[in-house]
Amino acid sequence: MFRAEGKGDYRMLSGRERERYARQLPILGEEGQETLRSSSVCVAGAGGLGCPVALYLAAAGVGHIRIVDPDRVDRSNLNRQVLHAEPDISRFKVESAAEKLQRLNPDITIESMPVAIDDGNIDRVTGGMHLLLDALDSYPARYLLNRVAYQKNIPLIHAAVSGFHGQLTTIIPRETPCLRCIIPHPPEGGSPPVLGATAGIVGTLEALEALKVLTGMGDVAKNILLVWDGRSGRLDQIPVGKDPGCPVCGIRGRIC
Amino acid sequence: MLITVHIRAFARFRESFGDRFDVEVESPATVRSVMLEVGKRNGQGVRDLIDDGGNVKKSVIIMVNRERVTGEARDEHPVHGGDEVALYPPVAGG
Repeated sequence: MFRAEGKGDYRMLSGRERERYARQLPILGEEGQETLRSSSVCVAGAGGLGCPVALYLAAAGVGHIRIVDPDRVDRSNLNRQVLHAEPDISRFKVESAAEKLQRLNPDITIESMPVAIDDGNIDRVTGGMHLLLDALDSYPARYLLNRVAYQKNIPLIHAAVSGFHGQLTTIIPRETPCLRCIIPHPPEGGSPPVLGATAGIVGTLEALEALKVLTGMGDVAKNILLVWDGRSGRLDQIPVGKDPGCPVCGIRGRIC
Repeated sequence: MLITVHIRAFARFRESFGDRFDVEVESPATVRSVMLEVGKRNGQGVRDLIDDGGNVKKSVIIMVNRERVTGEARDEHPVHGGDEVALYPPVAGG
């Protein structure tokens, strides 16, 4: 499993950090906490998924969070994008999010990038990152993130939501199927209706998954698509496999 | 001859068509004939499953006996009596 070893500083935890993380240190151990502190994670999207993801990663003490989103806060975002509030309307989402996250945890670095992910900036967006988190709302951008994750060998956690439902999978390049293998044809786009609590559940699941990938604890959602069905309160697992003809990672495919 | 196929639907398809149920289809059956039969259970929900040309929507994840079925010829993939066919519509929102 991936670990962010040797990538950051290994000073001992401060007294304040010990106090802040007192209730999770028995779970993570000092080593696990220091691993989180030395980790750099890109949260792609500061919306329904990105807000809970970034919130719980910041609270857990992930040392460097880069949050990327080109949009400004709109009133219609506020049913689910819980880092933003009425006074934030018209601000960049990444600025609004960074302010709340930094207030929550001043011991970590929050970097905000108010850009739409594209071919021209994807290197900058993913540079120096140990883990990429898909909290996007469009498949073209997701596929770009997936391709770069494969090229740069960076783990990627994919998540998406609609209505009462959501899905999540963890992609370890060269080990698991990539997003193109799992979802070769994107579902129809648009802005699906989403209950805030659905985005909260799936986003929190994505944050938990990120903490597990970073620390190597527990079993992560490799080779399965986790499917949350909020109407029946069920979390199903759909087995997924590599597509040998995948244009991104397939042995018969090619990087496109 | 009619055969019985076991269906397992996930997420929105569970709402539209039911959780686990059986359908009867004419043999020889294919993914397409099974999905058209499933679609008959919900006049609204069928729009998420079948496109205007009568094909299974490409984005829908289909598994036959827990094996993913993909590729251009997916709709013609054979289905036999007693097989389990699972269906899931991936979502896009963030």
